[in-house]
Amino acid sequence: MGGHLNINHLFFLGHGALWTIGLSMIALVGGGIAGFVIALARISPLKSVRIASGAYVQLIQGTPLLVILFLGYFGLAAIGFSVSPLAAAGASLTLYVAAYLGEIWRGCIESVPKPQWEAAEGLALSRTQRMIKVILPQAVRIATPPTVGFMVQIVKNTSLASVVGFVELMRSGQIVNNSLFEPFMVYAIIAVVYFAMCYPLSLLSQRLERRMGRGRLTLAPA
Amino acid sequence: MMKSKKLLCAAVSACCLLAMAAKPAFADLLDDITKAKKIRISTDLAIPPSGMMDGTMKPTGSDVEVAQLLAKDWGLELEFIQTTGATRIPNVNTGKADIIISTLSVTPDRAKVIDFTNRYATLQSDIGCLKSLNVKDWPDLKDKTVGVSRGTTQDTMLSNMKDKELKIARYDDDATGVTAAVSGQVDCVGSSATIINQIGVKNPARIFESKIPLASFDLAIGLKKGETRLLEKLNAWVTENVKNGKLNAIYKKFHGVELPADMRG
Repeated sequence: MGGHLNINHLFFLGHGALWTIGLSMIALVGGGIAGFVIALARISPLKSVRIASGAYVQLIQGTPLLVILFLGYFGLAAIGFSVSPLAAAGASLTLYVAAYLGEIWRGCIESVPKPQWEAAEGLALSRTQRMIKVILPQAVRIATPPTVGFMVQIVKNTSLASVVGFVELMRSGQIVNNSLFEPFMVYAIIAVVYFAMCYPLSLLSQRLERRMGRGRLTLAPA
Repeated sequence: MMKSKKLLCAAVSACCLLAMAAKPAFADLLDDITKAKKIRISTDLAIPPSGMMDGTMKPTGSDVEVAQLLAKDWGLELEFIQTTGATRIPNVNTGKADIIISTLSVTPDRAKVIDFTNRYATLQSDIGCLKSLNVKDWPDLKDKTVGVSRGTTQDTMLSNMKDKELKIARYDDDATGVTAAVSGQVDCVGSSATIINQIGVKNPARIFESKIPLASFDLAIGLKKGETRLLEKLNAWVTENVKNGKLNAIYKKFHGVELPADMRG
């Protein structure tokens, strides 16, 4: 107990930070792909698909991430499936991110002005062509700020993975703090590291918005 | 957050029930451990001085040394399963770890879901206050805020003393509780003597001392229910190491005080 911050503590925090980045990547890539499918399913012409995907979104959005993680790790083990912490955390985060991104993106797709849909239909484009050539390019622009906002949140939410025994950035900070009893210093370092992870994401969002904004005039509603 | 804590508690209970309903499996945990030549021990490494990290980020502390002694005596490789206070019991009940050595106090509620060995240590909890504060007994604590670590047995005990009109502030872990005392957020804490002394080390202007003894808890090794052979072997090991004084030596090294007289070997 006690002692001073040394290079080993920093390595330990760095190791935790790598896990935070790794978990975030898994969550965003896996959740992004699944979320895209959910978004499309939510606007499907088939009622059953719309209802099923809607139910999924409601179920996940109404459940705390902490509980999803817990059930994924201990719940599955209790009924006989043993999963590693990484698999449980990765899968739970993917499920969680998919529900939110799916719903964010559905809103973005639907907020592309109605005349654009009608005009595309008027040009006799098939449903797939209409989506790829007309609607999605415009929806992506609308979707950028809320998507990045949510990504930043996910980076920080990975701290909940400590419940399944994951030593990510926040938990590694807690462990270091409990051997040093220097919370201000330890948590300040952690805050800086989180900021260093999240700020580039925000910058990227600004750049993307600016770049895509250029095409804005030609994409204006009819 | 409160809501999710409650849900988490519900999830914990659900998992434990599921785990109990799922089997009596015929596999014997002791055989599994012997075959794997490895014992997986669930230890929280963020509760000093029982489980913590040293300057080179290696696990150390009284529970860590007890675990190491056990692994050495049984000729097994030791793997620490990272855990938090709340997930110690689910870890053994769902087979993620073999046993718990992590300041686990023996309580009747816990004994319903896991088996305990004989005690390998005790933990004296006190109400500690600022030295200058005139606190002699419970009535003196009225209108004072007492800091505790959330979910610990101290938290449960103080929360149940409704008639004493205590104000309780619950902190995430011992380090944050100590910081609350060091920085003047609370003038009293409910914790172990070691932690109470640590406050004065961090801030010599605010020396705390034990004022009212709270309780002495028996700490035991926890394991999944029904593993009789493992339980018997662990009990024999605990008894032997209480007798030869090794457990007392480990305890004294980290906690600065000795175990009760009948456990000094």
